[in-house]
Amino acid sequence: MNSILDQLPNLVAPPRSLWSDARRRFLRNRAALVSLCLLSLICLACVIGPWVLPHAFDSADWESMSAPPSFANSHFWGTDDAGRDLLVRCLIGGRISLTVGLLATLSSVTLGIVWGATAGFVGGKVDAFMMRIVDMMYAIPYLLIAILLVTILGREFYLVVLTITVFSWMDMARVVRGQTLSLRSMEYVEAARAIGVSTPRMIFRHIVPNLLGVVVIYTTVTVPGVILTESVLSFLGLGIQEPMTSWGVLIVAADRKLTHLRA
Amino acid sequence: MWSYTLRRVLAAIPTVLVVITVCYLLLHATPGGPFDSDRKVSAAVLANLQAKYHLDLPLWQQYLLYLKGLAQGDLGASFRYADWSVNDLVASALPVSLAIGGTAMLLAAVIGVTLGIVAALRQNSVVDYFVMLLGNVGSAVPSFVLGPVMIIVFAILLKWLPAGGWHDFELRFMVLPIALLTIINVSTIGRVMRGSLIEVMHSNFIRTARAKGLPTRVVVMRHALKPALLPVVSLLGPLAISSITSALVTETVFSLPGLGKLIVNGAGNRDYTLVLGLVVLITMLTVTLNLLVDLAYAWLDPKIRY
Amino acid sequence: MQSPFKLTAIAALTFVLSAPVPAATIPAGTQLHPTQTLVRSNGSEPESMDPAVAETVPANQILRDLFEGLTATDTTGKTVPGVAESWKQTNPTTWVFKLRTNAKFSNGDPITAEDFVYGIRRFVDPKTASPYAATFGVFLHNGLEIAQGKKPTSELGVKALDKHTLEIKTQDPIPFMAELVSNTQLGPVHKATVEKWGKEWVKPGNMVGNGAYKLKEWKVNNRIVVEKNPNYWDAANAPLTQVTYLPIEDQFADIKLWESGETDYVYQMPPGVFDKYKAQYPKELRNQAIIGVRYYDYQTKDPAFKDVRVRKALSMVIDRDILSKRVTADGQPPAYSMIVAGTVGADPTPYEWANWPMDKKVSEAKKLLEQAGVKPGTKYSFSYNTSEYHKKMAVFVASEWKTKLGIIMETETMEFKVLAKKRHDGAFQIARNGWLADYNDATTFLALIRCDSDQNTNFHCNREAEALIKKGTQSTDAAKRKEFLTQASKMILDDYPVIPLVQYSLPRLIKSYVGGYSELNPQDHYRSKDFYIIKH
Repeated sequence: MNSILDQLPNLVAPPRSLWSDARRRFLRNRAALVSLCLLSLICLACVIGPWVLPHAFDSADWESMSAPPSFANSHFWGTDDAGRDLLVRCLIGGRISLTVGLLATLSSVTLGIVWGATAGFVGGKVDAFMMRIVDMMYAIPYLLIAILLVTILGREFYLVVLTITVFSWMDMARVVRGQTLSLRSMEYVEAARAIGVSTPRMIFRHIVPNLLGVVVIYTTVTVPGVILTESVLSFLGLGIQEPMTSWGVLIVAADRKLTHLRA
Repeated sequence: MWSYTLRRVLAAIPTVLVVITVCYLLLHATPGGPFDSDRKVSAAVLANLQAKYHLDLPLWQQYLLYLKGLAQGDLGASFRYADWSVNDLVASALPVSLAIGGTAMLLAAVIGVTLGIVAALRQNSVVDYFVMLLGNVGSAVPSFVLGPVMIIVFAILLKWLPAGGWHDFELRFMVLPIALLTIINVSTIGRVMRGSLIEVMHSNFIRTARAKGLPTRVVVMRHALKPALLPVVSLLGPLAISSITSALVTETVFSLPGLGKLIVNGAGNRDYTLVLGLVVLITMLTVTLNLLVDLAYAWLDPKIRY
Repeated sequence: MQSPFKLTAIAALTFVLSAPVPAATIPAGTQLHPTQTLVRSNGSEPESMDPAVAETVPANQILRDLFEGLTATDTTGKTVPGVAESWKQTNPTTWVFKLRTNAKFSNGDPITAEDFVYGIRRFVDPKTASPYAATFGVFLHNGLEIAQGKKPTSELGVKALDKHTLEIKTQDPIPFMAELVSNTQLGPVHKATVEKWGKEWVKPGNMVGNGAYKLKEWKVNNRIVVEKNPNYWDAANAPLTQVTYLPIEDQFADIKLWESGETDYVYQMPPGVFDKYKAQYPKELRNQAIIGVRYYDYQTKDPAFKDVRVRKALSMVIDRDILSKRVTADGQPPAYSMIVAGTVGADPTPYEWANWPMDKKVSEAKKLLEQAGVKPGTKYSFSYNTSEYHKKMAVFVASEWKTKLGIIMETETMEFKVLAKKRHDGAFQIARNGWLADYNDATTFLALIRCDSDQNTNFHCNREAEALIKKGTQSTDAAKRKEFLTQASKMILDDYPVIPLVQYSLPRLIKSYVGGYSELNPQDHYRSKDFYIIKH
């Protein structure tokens, strides 16, 4: 009897936190690993590439405008309408787009979670009021806000982030609220309430962690959405200022040249 | 539930008022007015134009005049489209946007949910990857790239469908725009459905259902689907709104006379009455759709009570 | 007392035309298609179908089909008789038009001189709030004061001498009177219809016009369809039975519709694809230079631009040949003057350095900047409205200034309305601008650079030149007028208030079975009655 009890520590696996458990499962998933590597490579290229390549992103080469890729003049991805090297512009654009994507997502997700969880959990009049504000935000045409913000405040990069955040947080808020409504009737919530946990603590320690599944799904949908919103802003002429560029600006310009597929 | 619905409908009125006020202030705060253009109009003409549209009155008076007209159902006269009233313009654009956006949303919901279920049940299989790939492509490729490509393929090379335009709800003009909007929305709906269903399938009550020996089909359809649909349904409201009212890229690429173009042109032209009229419309649509979504929550999750 | 020399000049200015000129000149032996309908794109939704109020090119295009003025423009841009079958200038500031007796409105009512009086008075009336009231009104006697609200419309110099004779008094002698009255803004309006329907008179079913076509259908942002007007006096010479106008704003969507066969006529090609389409559709691509100029305004009151040497240097180093051949690359000729080739009434006065080799220009410019005390690294802000086209030009100019002079251009894009306001308020340093002639005379371009003009957004004023311009516009001798105006324009341009860059051109795609389109038309003033569909 004693021997087994003595050996017990060796037989039982060491305690693991939820995070390390998640990390192990993530690293075992091949698709996830490959994606992580690819993403890191892209980020690395965007950061280092422009320093390494011979051309500057804003120097115009009037001899080769809209030129196809060639090794001879080291325009590896060709040039754009104004003779600027496309590879460098794509990488510089990447810096902007990835940063905008990351920052705008972070801020809209945070705002959305806080708003939605609070509304869903507290319920009643507060919920109604907060959700009506969400309704109102949906109703205001985003173009109006974009034009105003851009015209009054300028087109600095952080303002583009702000503008995108302003229209992107509502979806997350609604989704989170929906989930919260569902979770709030769970037993552990009742238990926590019985113990006397304060409302903010309940929201952030009990509700939010259980929302993370949906939040993560939704975030993966938001990130490309944010990068695309930036490109739609550029489509409308409200995006990043010349000569700085972003993937949105580049793709709109390139799309214009896609007139026929014939050789 | 009915009292809840009634309360929400009544709450719509202050919502509309607040939105109108905010937009009204935003519009007037934006630099540039409706009559600023290349050609400078003479002072006398400008004075007459402003008098005609009541722009010479102080802001609060204009605001009250507008509300009075609104209460009588009159959305005012447009500056940019000088021969038409805002009521006319909205009435001509709304059916087009509803037809395109509404149909696309229905299709996207059905296809997206189906694909999401299929992918979730066969997680990490070839089918799953294929569905996710479709989803990712639809999500990553911007509509203003996909649209022209579709036109080049179907209208110019194959000549099966027109490259755009609109003629009184003829089907051939509707196919490509609906297809574009559907593809874009299917990816979002599918991915959220898949993720949500996967999560639900891991919960305790599903394990119980399986342990009882129920076939997967019953497990999914009767037990897992409803809770899994919750986040998807949350999405449908805003997606539907944006498909109907902000499908600007689709409308530009296919030259459709819809709401998105009206609102963007309205804002660009500082056509105050047109923008406010459209805002009223969008607010009412948003309130209605969000209400429907919230009522759907109650249906999907019986624990949610209003 | 007028000298005999002047009288001879007046006699020389008198001309009478008697025979009606057939509209659609179809070459002999052309086989026509059984269905004579045209579908064309028209840029943007017209702001109004009221001929007094319309101001944009798309609106005027449709109005030229629905209404007809005293004269009209044929497909080559030549002025031909319209409702008036003949006219003469009885003294330097008076013209008498004889209306044809068989001209009718679309509802059968005959057109009388009173209809013109009503129409033109309505046009300049400030209550109608027409944006063109001052632009055209300035030429009519008392027209400007009426448009400014200082005089009543009854004092306008337009009078009906009898049912078929109209007398127009002008403020100054204007040699281009015949062309001026081809504008539908100065055309006849059916009074009873306007009074009956009020604002709704322009809707299909209510509208009564006098053009070769009448309004059949109007769906906003969707289509405008016009069909043949059997009551038009020259209906026999209008082959097309129906024209559909599609307001397609996106130029790329426009060419795709054309390529797929949905439309026959592109409004304007987008930038950057000219060469590709020229190679693929050589016969269907039409392009002509039109009288318009793209230029940049200097804010001459800004301390940075007080010195003319700075303004000159910056203008000199821009290589307009590369700009027009490689950057804009759609047949827009370089412009070194605000009067462009094809303008009547003054000659273009290119700068003397226009043909110098670039090295010489750069070294001269560098010297000027040094003398003015401007060092490399100086920044100037440049404002333009968002558009690929303007962006390309701006990028090029910025690069020229940076590489050749070390000057940095800080670009600021903004929406069109914001730019228009900034320009009129002077809230800029350098701003892009462009101007298409309202009528073919040099004064339309001089309005951009002369003193006290509403359209002058560079705020520069040369009083000496202004005096010359006044002398010119009051002169009754066409040659002297041209001399004064040319001299004045050179004088002002030598102050470098603006940087003229390129002349506008009109690249469009038109199916080869559409006949009657002439590339000689300098103002894009076409009438559908001149087109016809060849058998295909």
